Amino acid sequence: MKVFQINGNNTLSLALFAEVANSKELLDSMQAGNLELEVSFMNASLIPDVFPVLAAAHKALVSKSRDSLTTRTLHSELVYNISGSKHITESLKRCGISDSCTYVLAARFNASPEDMKVVEKLINGKEVDLVELESRANQAQILKHYKISAMELGISSLADAITCRIASRDAL
Amino acid sequence: MDVEEGVGDGSLVLLKQGAEAKVFELNFVGRRSVVKERFSKKYRHPMLDAKLTLKRLNAEARCMTKARRLGVCTPALYAVDPVLHSLTFEYVDGPAVKDVLLEFGSNGIVEERLDDIAVQIGDAIAKLHDGGLIHGDLTTSNMLIRNVVNQLVLIDFGLSFTSTLPEDKAVDLYVLERALLSMHSSCGNVMDRILAAYRKSSKQWSATFNKLAQGAILLYCILGFALFRLLPVIFVFPF
Repeated sequence: MKVFQINGNNTLSLALFAEVANSKELLDSMQAGNLELEVSFMNASLIPDVFPVLAAAHKALVSKSRDSLTTRTLHSELVYNISGSKHITESLKRCGISDSCTYVLAARFNASPEDMKVVEKLINGKEVDLVELESRANQAQILKHYKISAMELGISSLADAITCRIASRDAL
Repeated sequence: MDVEEGVGDGSLVLLKQGAEAKVFELNFVGRRSVVKERFSKKYRHPMLDAKLTLKRLNAEARCMTKARRLGVCTPALYAVDPVLHSLTFEYVDGPAVKDVLLEFGSNGIVEERLDDIAVQIGDAIAKLHDGGLIHGDLTTSNMLIRNVVNQLVLIDFGLSFTSTLPEDKAVDLYVLERALLSMHSSCGNVMDRILAAYRKSSKQWSATFNKLAQGAILLYCILGFALFRLLPVIFVFPF
């Protein structure tokens, strides 16, 4: 896992898990609201780099500080933001975890080391390093979800293209 | 557990100030970035001011990302803040085309480099126009050359809009022509090289060039007419 400073004193802790076996349980308990602590679970195959996640987190924190969250919690806002779309249900379905999801990025704001231990225990999978995001990402799925054309890829990295969509969503 | 470096908001450095906005440099979640903050105009009615500022902010964000989708390099957008009226984007390391051309003017032209820049400019504008995007402020100071890769990056989409009219495209090119003439006449005819590249990569060059030529003729007519009308006045009041 790794901790990133976002703005001011706020941090985001990220941990990446492969071969996750209990997505369905996680999803069910998250929807029932009985997870031990609040945490964002993201479908990691749509994430080729940490930077878009950090930009989405920055955006979520800014909304939170102005009491203008679109979704119910800061952690769901992160998943909603990373989708780059305005459709909340669709965003949570695609960029959050689903029953069959085996590759998960877990994120928590301002987490203590103990918090992250709890998160690690929640997930029944193998933790892998964040540098593997790039090689494990599903490029075809990313291009389709974010509607990235070959023309754009000629001048931009995948991560930058996604970040642009996250940033400009509300301007469209 | 290691904390990734990243200075928060405390390290703003003012880079430039224009009539509409201030440009700062800062660190955005670990990356060097630039913030463009539109300030409010005290001479406007507050309600109108808020509306205009927000509209232009959103339009700029939209046009910048649209340009990228058309395959024209612009700085990657990192964040849009509708409350502070600010855009945060990637810091592009490199000189403005203006500075490169001015240096050619004083230290002699490097033909190869000038040609490369002109071709890139023509190509980029053609892509924008074919996609229906008008830059609105094409000057050499709104074009950067990324160091090392020598890639052209267009900036400042504050006056951009979408249009497919040949007139709008021609005006876009005309603005550039004027800017080149007034700043960089010592570099020879750069505009011709740009237009040649434009013609090569745009599918709709013919309509645009027609309007550009018509515009030039029209301009001379207006100037000539004005001069003609002024002549008697000059004769009557020579002093």
